[in-house]
Amino acid sequence: MAATGQVKNPTATMGFAARRASDARSTNLIRIGLLLAIAGSWEALARSGLLFRDVVPSLFSISAAIWKLLGNPAFYANLQVTAWEIFASLAIGSGLGIAVGIILGANRFLGAAFEPYVYYLAPTPRIIFFPVMIMWFGVGIASKIALGALSCFFTVALSTAGGMREVDKVLIRVGRSFRATQWQMATKIYLPAMRAPVLNGIRLGFGTATVTALLAETKLSNQGLGFMIMQIYARFDMPSLYGLLIIVFILAGIGNLILGKVTGTSA
Amino acid sequence: MTLATTAATGATTGQPQLVIDNVFKQFGEGPGSVIAIDNMSFDVKPGEFVSVIGPSGCGKSTLFNIIGGLLDEYAGNVLIERERIAGPHKAVGMVFQEESTFPWRNVIDNVAFPLELQGVNKSERLDRAHHFIDLVGLKGFEKLMPSALSGGMRQRVSIARTLVSGPQILLMDEPFAALDEQTRLLLGDKITQIQQDLNQTTLLITHNLTEAVQLSDRIVVMTYRPGRVKRIVNIDLPRPRTSDVVSSDAFGHYVAEIWSDLREEASRGMADTESVRRTAPRG
Ligand SMILES: Nc1ncnc2c1ncn2[C@@H]1O[C@H](COP(=O)(O)OP(=O)(O)O)[C@@H](O)[C@H]1O
Ligand SMILES: [Mg+2]
Repeated sequence: MAATGQVKNPTATMGFAARRASDARSTNLIRIGLLLAIAGSWEALARSGLLFRDVVPSLFSISAAIWKLLGNPAFYANLQVTAWEIFASLAIGSGLGIAVGIILGANRFLGAAFEPYVYYLAPTPRIIFFPVMIMWFGVGIASKIALGALSCFFTVALSTAGGMREVDKVLIRVGRSFRATQWQMATKIYLPAMRAPVLNGIRLGFGTATVTALLAETKLSNQGLGFMIMQIYARFDMPSLYGLLIIVFILAGIGNLILGKVTGTSA
Repeated sequence: MTLATTAATGATTGQPQLVIDNVFKQFGEGPGSVIAIDNMSFDVKPGEFVSVIGPSGCGKSTLFNIIGGLLDEYAGNVLIERERIAGPHKAVGMVFQEESTFPWRNVIDNVAFPLELQGVNKSERLDRAHHFIDLVGLKGFEKLMPSALSGGMRQRVSIARTLVSGPQILLMDEPFAALDEQTRLLLGDKITQIQQDLNQTTLLITHNLTEAVQLSDRIVVMTYRPGRVKRIVNIDLPRPRTSDVVSSDAFGHYVAEIWSDLREEASRGMADTESVRRTAPRG
């Protein structure tokens, strides 16, 4: 019985992994197909002359613009500023969010009293707090970090509180029945059980922090990728504008992918 | 054989190890309140296998939680070695009705969990966990995660995890409820064998009559609403037992005898649930 289990299981897992891999291959094909279709229609539209050439530039001029941007030191300087803003927002917002989420999740009274506020504030566009942040933290990167941290905070706090409340009650009873100490309950039951929802919250928080930081940079700033987008827009340099948007899109995708990997492997 | 004899003598002459003395538990106050346990008394002697049987909703899990020390507010006494328990007692090991393996730990780390809490060093921890994994028939599955196992295998992991902590009293709440009949019988064999090998004092809570007769030295039959002791039946089937005992005449007599008591309670329970459903439809 044990022997068949040993032999049977690896093959079963392999079959499963193989099926997953082939599924992933076909979704990749669909994705690549979709990208090609979009690129094709774009190019057809650009060449048709139906719209102004400046509004829909050809893919060749966009590629050339991307190439030029990648060779431009100003791009890297701005990228660094934005990356730092996002990282700092995420670190501060997640740290506070996890702490507040645990308090709200652990304490039924506090949760009932304060969670509605967090809940209703969470979907309001954080950019409306931007003027306040500028008054408090100035026009530099500090106000962007503060705003990014604020937006990330809500997402992480809510998912942490939810994750804490959804820890399987029977696992808590198992811990108590083995007479685990408070510390052991926290580190060996709550923490591992909450890992997935908290990491997922951080991943969503990364999304909102990125959006908020870029948006704030387009409003009022003198550095960062959002600022660079507005500079290019002011010159009406459409190929570079689209090029930069594509680069930002890809970078955000990579960031999300890395965080997703971390979440996925641990969940 | 010798183990079985010791168990039998222990059961008749030994001091009671676990005493349930006039335990009463009411949920809520006033009109909406429910008396879950109404002055139940019985005991479990060292090495003895006792089952508590009753229909769904009669208060079995409530009793389980009280004896396990997870439910503090009750009247009466639960005594272990003559002392009233206060919270989970170190002599008691619980196996829960619900799925209770840690999904983020593999089989061996699940089983070693109580030893980890006690600060046992790693190599000894793994040795002892291996021993009990072997005992419940899961050798070769040590490194698998619970999600890769069947429900019956996961329940065996939970049982091994409780046994590894070396409880003097094994307390189980419908551990086989979610399993199919064949797995239930085979796991029953496993439990009988373990109980005889370790001379393990066991209190099993169940709503399954066959299971109770197959495994027990004594059966406590509960009434439905409020939960009281209706009758205590001695099962004088020979030990060591296997699931083959199910087909014997004596087994059939016990089942029939207890069923006549249980049927009354079960049908009361059923009528109750139906009237609740008719008057107050709730999901
Ligand atoms: N925490 C609780 N609050 C209120 N009523 C409860 C609670 N737990 C159990 N009960 C009630 O007590 C009775 C016995 O429940 P339980 O012990 O779970 O029965 P069983 O395990 O035999 O199915 C049921 O009527 C149930 O509704
Ligand atoms: Mg129950």
